[in-house]
Amino acid sequence: MSTIDDLRRVIRRIEGARPPRPAPEPIERLVDGELHDTGHGSIVRVRREYPLSHRHGAEPLGDALAAPLELLARAARIDAELGAADGLLFLDTETTGLAGGTGTYAFLVGVARVEDARLVVLQYFMRDFDDEPALLTALEPLLARARAVVTFNGGGFDLPLLETRFVLARRRWPSTLPHLDLLRPARRVWTGWLSDCRLSTLESAVLGLAREDDVPGGLIPMLYFDYLRSRRAAPLCRVFEHNRADVLSLVALVGWFGRALADTSGVRPEELAGLGRLWEPCDLERALGCYRAALEAGVPEPVARWARLRLAWWEKRAARWDAACELWEAARQHDLFDPRPWEELAKFHEHRARDLTAARAVVEDALGLARTAGAASRVLEAFAYRLARLDRRLAARRLDVSMT
Amino acid sequence: MLGEILDDLLISASTGRCITATRHFPARPPVFAPFPPTLDERVVAALRARGIEQLFSHQGRVWELVEQGRHVVVVTPTASGKTLCYNLPALQALLEQPEARILYLFPTKALAQDQLAELEALAKSLPELRMFTYDGDTPQDARRAVRARANLVLTNPDMLHSGILPHHTKWATLFQNLRYVVIDELHAYRGVFGSHLANVLRRLKRICAHYGSTPQFIMASATIANPGELASRITGEAVEEITESGAPTGEKTFVCYNPPVVNPELGIRAPYLGEAAKLAIRLLREEVPTIVFAQSRLSTEVLLTSIKQGVADRATGDSGIVRGYRGGYLPNRRRAVEKELRAGEALGVVSTNALELGVDIGHLDAAVLAGYPGTIASLWQQAGRAGRRTGASAAILVATSAPLDQFMVTHPDYLFGTPPEHARINPDNPFILVNHLKCAAFELPIVEDETFGAVDVRRELAALEDEGLLHRAGPRYHWASETYPADHVSLRTVTTDNFVVIDTTFRDEKQTKKRQIIAEVDWSSAFATIYPKAIYLVESAPYEVQELRFREDEEKVAYVKKVSVDYFTDAISAKGVWILRRLEGRQHGAYLAEQGEVLVAEKVVGFKKIKHGTLENVGSGEVELPQQEKQTTSAWLTVAPETLERVSRSREELIDGLRAVTYLLHHLAPIFLLCDIRDLGSWLGDTTPVESGAVATRESAKRRLMQAERFNPTIYLYDAHAGGIGLAERVFEILPDLLRRGLQTLEACACTFGCPSCVGPVNEVGRRAKATAARLLVALTT
Repeated sequence: MSTIDDLRRVIRRIEGARPPRPAPEPIERLVDGELHDTGHGSIVRVRREYPLSHRHGAEPLGDALAAPLELLARAARIDAELGAADGLLFLDTETTGLAGGTGTYAFLVGVARVEDARLVVLQYFMRDFDDEPALLTALEPLLARARAVVTFNGGGFDLPLLETRFVLARRRWPSTLPHLDLLRPARRVWTGWLSDCRLSTLESAVLGLAREDDVPGGLIPMLYFDYLRSRRAAPLCRVFEHNRADVLSLVALVGWFGRALADTSGVRPEELAGLGRLWEPCDLERALGCYRAALEAGVPEPVARWARLRLAWWEKRAARWDAACELWEAARQHDLFDPRPWEELAKFHEHRARDLTAARAVVEDALGLARTAGAASRVLEAFAYRLARLDRRLAARRLDVSMT
Repeated sequence: MLGEILDDLLISASTGRCITATRHFPARPPVFAPFPPTLDERVVAALRARGIEQLFSHQGRVWELVEQGRHVVVVTPTASGKTLCYNLPALQALLEQPEARILYLFPTKALAQDQLAELEALAKSLPELRMFTYDGDTPQDARRAVRARANLVLTNPDMLHSGILPHHTKWATLFQNLRYVVIDELHAYRGVFGSHLANVLRRLKRICAHYGSTPQFIMASATIANPGELASRITGEAVEEITESGAPTGEKTFVCYNPPVVNPELGIRAPYLGEAAKLAIRLLREEVPTIVFAQSRLSTEVLLTSIKQGVADRATGDSGIVRGYRGGYLPNRRRAVEKELRAGEALGVVSTNALELGVDIGHLDAAVLAGYPGTIASLWQQAGRAGRRTGASAAILVATSAPLDQFMVTHPDYLFGTPPEHARINPDNPFILVNHLKCAAFELPIVEDETFGAVDVRRELAALEDEGLLHRAGPRYHWASETYPADHVSLRTVTTDNFVVIDTTFRDEKQTKKRQIIAEVDWSSAFATIYPKAIYLVESAPYEVQELRFREDEEKVAYVKKVSVDYFTDAISAKGVWILRRLEGRQHGAYLAEQGEVLVAEKVVGFKKIKHGTLENVGSGEVELPQQEKQTTSAWLTVAPETLERVSRSREELIDGLRAVTYLLHHLAPIFLLCDIRDLGSWLGDTTPVESGAVATRESAKRRLMQAERFNPTIYLYDAHAGGIGLAERVFEILPDLLRRGLQTLEACACTFGCPSCVGPVNEVGRRAKATAARLLVALTT
């Protein structure tokens, strides 16, 4: 925190002559853009066109255009219709921070859409805070014309932030515009075998894209603040590229999802299992099909285990006990101790098959393995409790037998 | 029963001589006012349904003024129906204008919950009202619903500051239609907290202006000297004050109790905590519902321990009828205690001033104040916690041996005749102002010639831009940082980090990772309460601190373990004060008085172990903790060398005498400043510049003064709040009167060598201190 004296010193210094700001280098030229007059001030606009055959990583952009959007909407559990692919507006923002609230600005907004069989990426950039009215003015018709917006984590970040900017400027925010946030389906598909679900992780693991000389997202606010103060625009060029790559990745991901949802051939076993999870809430048959296909394709652990457990759960619900037990048996044959299949088998033997001895054997093995594996005390206690109960019931039964 | 106990106290030989004064306050009949003709029938019906057939006069007066569009503060005693004063206009507005929005601010979450319950009971039949609390306890997934649905939001200044204003676009409907802002417990917003609130309201008004609303403020306060002034400084508006209460009060007896002298030569009195405990035990044994107020969190626990023992050694051995209550207890523990008191399951409670505020704890008949609470306003607040609209009640003030307490119980005319203190705030304190300016810029860009409240902030804005926090585009300053400034500003203290106290007693056995948080301690008091090896008491159960984690990069945690010990610990700290900047000076014959900015460094260096019950010192320990520093404003007095020479040739004797004078002045200054003694700090040092190393070490001041080349001892009286809230300037003005009062007090004191009631206990200041202090004061006042 600044002290009274620091503040006074600073104030004294300012009270002397204030040096004029250095003349700004024209950023629009550096980033190969133009000044675009919106009627509410002008703004830097960068326009790039890509043929649909352009590959982003290994992914042709045109696949997004062919994506079965109704399937994607169903799988991503969006109520609204996404319409045709040429009505989608892919959107990503670069901001002055992650804090949110009214003091965080989106200084660069990149959008992409299909026009005349080409993908057009437009980027709008505020040279200073007073360019914001122009930025919002430029975005308004784009949002108005779109049938739906596609983002990555836009539900949690980009869209509320833009909404705040619109409300603050007393403009109408199109809150009913359908929104496809790719983070949600991505989590269902890739959580479990990718280390995380960040866009950059998906790019390298799924889209086969390696960004060169990419600027780390965490540095971006600082680069913008530096630009505001120094007017040196060159370091911001990488931010424009970063944003453009993000937007193209959105397009490429929609292409991937569209293909994988329509036809699973060519999809990796791990992703097959993930697709099962994506389908599970809206199309159970497809989901189970994906799980089975993943297991048949020899999906490795730990994905195999949770695919089995999901399958077993549905088999249990359908009371197909043999199938369920087979899956649990398979799931427990694994080096890494997982209490769930053991517990399910114990329950099955105790309550369903009413074979207390078999149940006891399962629990005893589980307890031994759990101890060796150093499982949480909660798990140990649960098995110990189960074992004690089984012993009680076995003793009672022996007593019954001896009485008769 | 209560009457008999009081009579007994007066008559009994052992206690009668301790009672220095008794005052009876007769019962007062109610003054009514009819329901205003403009009051909506549905509200009238709701009031009738609760058995209310007419208003008290002050409630009617508030209605009139609010109807005229005035900002209002109503000042009335506890249980006078002040909540109806603001609930009536609020309900009326929501019935007349469904889109209207109303904001209630309470200093604590508990009070908001209380009031929500009260409002819901009143508004049962009024479906138009959608009332919700919105605070740190509101679950994330419920927040959106509250924002969308509520037309009456109950919250606290902290939430307004960090959760609502920085997200005002999500609250656009509220800010477009904000009709009333209700601020209850206004008197709680004195000092730093009030200075912060005033700035939060500056921000609120900016946001309202942006959305085109101009809310009206309705405030309620306990009795203070300047409610209208405080209300007006906090809101930045002209405010009407209503001080005449129409509510009836039952008769009340106020007793001043001075513990007996047990060692006349040393002027030592029986420990006041023990005496207070005895009185409380007596009341509780006779089943008189009693509240005991202690002056610190530590003495709360110490008192609770002995009172529990006192009531438990009766038949059952159960001590559960007495509970503890203080800040630092976790919210659900506090809620449980409040509930038990309301339901009558607990008969008594020992509390810090946390229960001064209007938390609903039902009706109690007696209040025991263990020590003068520091201000007349608090005295009446605490005494007012006992008493109902009808029936008798009593309050007993048990004096400590500090000069201020002794003065109060031996000058009952002063005690009963002095109006309550001014609540002072300084919204323009530079630390506080600049922090809120940052928040304001985050919320809405600041136009270069915009004033903040009425303050011209152009220089501050330029300075913030220079530091890279703001960026100017055209005529506007925009927030230009990744941070969220409200997160770095705490309204209650200067620093924000709280320590959590984690119980590890059972951790080893069960190996559970679950964190057993048993309390919270704020940063400013952490080093003095949860240092390693400290005994930390929670509901009188002792825990020993095993480890304190305070480094910047780690979570602030104290790990404690339950122990069985019969002592508690009290921190020993070292201090140093250094002048940073002189602002004003005045030569007064024998001394130079100055005021300006100082650096205060404090450090906990050790602790004493004190036995419960006997309060004897049974050991000590050392502590290695970092130094805490703050900048604040101070007045100081440097005695002229010739004067020093005339008084004594011995440097040591002079230092002891000056320390005695420092003690005396510090303890008497609150009488002049009408502030709490804890709002001031004092120190005997010199005027060596800060560059020579600002390190607080034990005994350093005395040693430094002994060895100093130039002997220029200086008495500092500084503002305890970082940045200062205006007390030092007042001390500078009243210094001559303060010295004269000091001499009078010293001469009137019957002790031989100094006692806690004048210059401090003889074993701390030395046998010659009182005489030297007297000679010094004579020289300084002629």
